[in-house]
Amino acid sequence: MTYREKTAWLSLIAMAIAFVPYFAIVQASSHSRPSVPSLRQLGLFAVAAVVQMAILGIGHLYLSHGSADEARLPPDERDVAIMRRSISLAYYVLIGGMILVGCVMPFNSSGWTIINAALATIVLAEVVHYGMVVVSYRRQA
Amino acid sequence: MDGSITNRIRFLRFQHGEMSQAELGQRIGVTRQTIAAIEAGKYSPSLEAAFLIAQVFNVPLGEVFQWEAKGASSKQA
Repeated sequence: MTYREKTAWLSLIAMAIAFVPYFAIVQASSHSRPSVPSLRQLGLFAVAAVVQMAILGIGHLYLSHGSADEARLPPDERDVAIMRRSISLAYYVLIGGMILVGCVMPFNSSGWTIINAALATIVLAEVVHYGMVVVSYRRQA
Repeated sequence: MDGSITNRIRFLRFQHGEMSQAELGQRIGVTRQTIAAIEAGKYSPSLEAAFLIAQVFNVPLGEVFQWEAKGASSKQA
């Protein structure tokens, strides 16, 4: 497994650990409809973001220590091609989600529902991005 | 036009003293995994990388990579 595939796995794992509980808690408390700004919601998001950053930071240190030579190398043409393809696919997810959040949701939702839908779109786009990276490396392995 | 790119990198590596994928990769500036993917026909390299591979083995490009049109072999038969 290449260093770049490992970092893509790390990003997927970090997002799953940080944002699956976040959206589960948000969904479970959706009946309370918090106002904007809501310190509880902001705190919850801050915890998820800090958890994600901590996992990424520790994970990158561990991976770059384990494959120091590979980590120092710039991405080669195959890495760049995989990155470009995965980013362009994630872009469509992001733009589709943002159209929904920005143009449709304001007519039937408000406050944190819209904010969380935007966050979910960003997380989903990132999952598609890193998921596509992993799938591409696996297919070409 | 349908077809696929085949290559003789494995054979050429063998001819050049069992050159490793890592060494070939290092000489043209890609990872060992990229050479493995090219060799297995799972990734088509850029023209630049293809020429560099041919240069390493000191052969023309056509001796490393070949284009096989779909159904070409069945038409010939």
